[in-house]
Amino acid sequence: MKILILGAGQVGSTVAESLVSEANDITVVDTDAAKLYALQNRLDLRTLVGNASHPSVLKQAGLADADMLLAVTQSDEVNMVACKLAASLFNTPTRIARIRSVDYLAHPEIFSPENFCVDFSICPEQILTDYIRKLIEFPEALQVLEFADGKVSLVAVRAFEGGPLVGRELKYLRTHMPQVDARVAAIFRHDHAISPEGSTMIEDGDEIFFIAASENIRNVMKELRRMDKPAKRVMIVGGGNIGRRLALSLEHDYQVKLIEFNKKACEKLAGELTHALVLQGDGTDESLLETERAGDVDVFCALTNDDENNIMSSLLAKKAGARKVISLINRSAYVGLVQGGKIDIALSPAHVTIGSLLAYVRQGDVAAVHSLRRGAAEALELVAHGDRQSSRVVGRRIDEIDLPAGATIGAIVRNGEVIMGHHDRLIESEDHVIVFVINKKMISKVEKLFQVNIGFF
Amino acid sequence: MSLISKILPLENVLLDAESASKKRVFERVGLLFENSQKLSRSQVFDSLFAREKLGSTGLGQGVAIPHGRIKGLRDAVAAFVKTETPIPFDAPDGAPVNLIFVLLVPERATDLHLQLLGELAQMFSNASFRERLMSSNDPAAIHQMFADWQT
Repeated sequence: MKILILGAGQVGSTVAESLVSEANDITVVDTDAAKLYALQNRLDLRTLVGNASHPSVLKQAGLADADMLLAVTQSDEVNMVACKLAASLFNTPTRIARIRSVDYLAHPEIFSPENFCVDFSICPEQILTDYIRKLIEFPEALQVLEFADGKVSLVAVRAFEGGPLVGRELKYLRTHMPQVDARVAAIFRHDHAISPEGSTMIEDGDEIFFIAASENIRNVMKELRRMDKPAKRVMIVGGGNIGRRLALSLEHDYQVKLIEFNKKACEKLAGELTHALVLQGDGTDESLLETERAGDVDVFCALTNDDENNIMSSLLAKKAGARKVISLINRSAYVGLVQGGKIDIALSPAHVTIGSLLAYVRQGDVAAVHSLRRGAAEALELVAHGDRQSSRVVGRRIDEIDLPAGATIGAIVRNGEVIMGHHDRLIESEDHVIVFVINKKMISKVEKLFQVNIGFF
Repeated sequence: MSLISKILPLENVLLDAESASKKRVFERVGLLFENSQKLSRSQVFDSLFAREKLGSTGLGQGVAIPHGRIKGLRDAVAAFVKTETPIPFDAPDGAPVNLIFVLLVPERATDLHLQLLGELAQMFSNASFRERLMSSNDPAAIHQMFADWQT
């Protein structure tokens, strides 16, 4: 596919990187030549320096031939104008814009074909906020992701001694809780994937990915580890885009303290937040953390835009006794270093949000994509189309489908009903199929498998 | 006469020296159908693109058969485009295509449409037929090749 990406920031460069490896023809436009230079040195793509909302720049970037426009510059306005121009001057089939401002997002009608012609808008800050909120709701989980309008969840959890299933074979799960249907999609032990089978023993420290109907996930988690008490006290460091949104979303359900360095920003935040306590200060200041009892909180979130500060304040909070610490880390190299050590969860914003873009860019009818384990693995929600003749999945039992090794069908959602992916289930047309892929190299094979052949009308 | 030549009017055979992308070809085809069949070009364009998203209609050997359903269309209608530059089409053999047969069918697909597709696949699997299409630059002669095709 020919794709034009506007903006070479975090989102733009991550998405470019992930698409280049999938054999697409990519052009990236940005005003910052240095950023583009760095990108072009690393990846096989075309770059163009210029203003992303100027028709001449769009033309030069080849928009007239592009299948898709991804407008992900820092500016909502540039992104919206670019989509509008793409529609009216270049007839671009698919237009996606990053929109951050709640003011715009509150009026979805401005994105319609009569107005700004944005087919899909994504808001990374909102996605990240929702993601962190889930981790606070389920303090035991490393990752909680939803599929099919929230009907199915994929949960990553570390098995701990004390969970009824730890030290037993996987098939014991069924005997132990016959009323709850869940499937273990993958187990990572010392960072290596093991294909789960009925006879696989669960060990203390295993990272387990399981899929279940969303209402059942708490029960399944209980099998794998002792449950923590639900979180009550949350401390957030950094009142920027994400910290602010998170505080607003949490303040009615949790006791929230928000630490922000900038005095002006504090005043504004204090005006917006009705329940949360806003504190002015430095999140890496040990004495401040001590006075505000960071050690007593259930979840501590370091969400400033400075990776090092986030790591430091999380470490301080953990040392003081905070139960779960979450640290936002932009540099992906750091994420791997930090996660699983003293810091419970290291979040890479790019990895959390990229899936929402990939879902639109991928070939085939892909309803959702979630990146797992820092981009090494992936979970996809694919919609099956066609019949036994025109599709390689429809009309077949799950064990008849030629899935590459390392890919598992976790669940099917059919007309809103969740069906677990047991081997004898039959796939029907229009089913939403949730597939877990332990190695991203297999993704294109899985996508191809779900594509219809030429005989489909 | 083959099934195909009945739905492919001479004016729908196009030698295209400009288009270098799938998108451009679909635009040109949209325009073609708008002029010859009074279909809305955006409807044609959107339908072809939406179908392509679900899986490529590239056949391999430089051939693609993009197709789509069109609301309100009474009978199947076709166009044939030969592009000067081969264009990327995500075909199974990975090769770009330059023989593009576009098929539009009414909203309700019938066996006839599958038959059409079958006949097309058979035609284009014939190497000498492809060869003749490749070497001709005369729309009338190309049209005649489709008409003369014997199964």
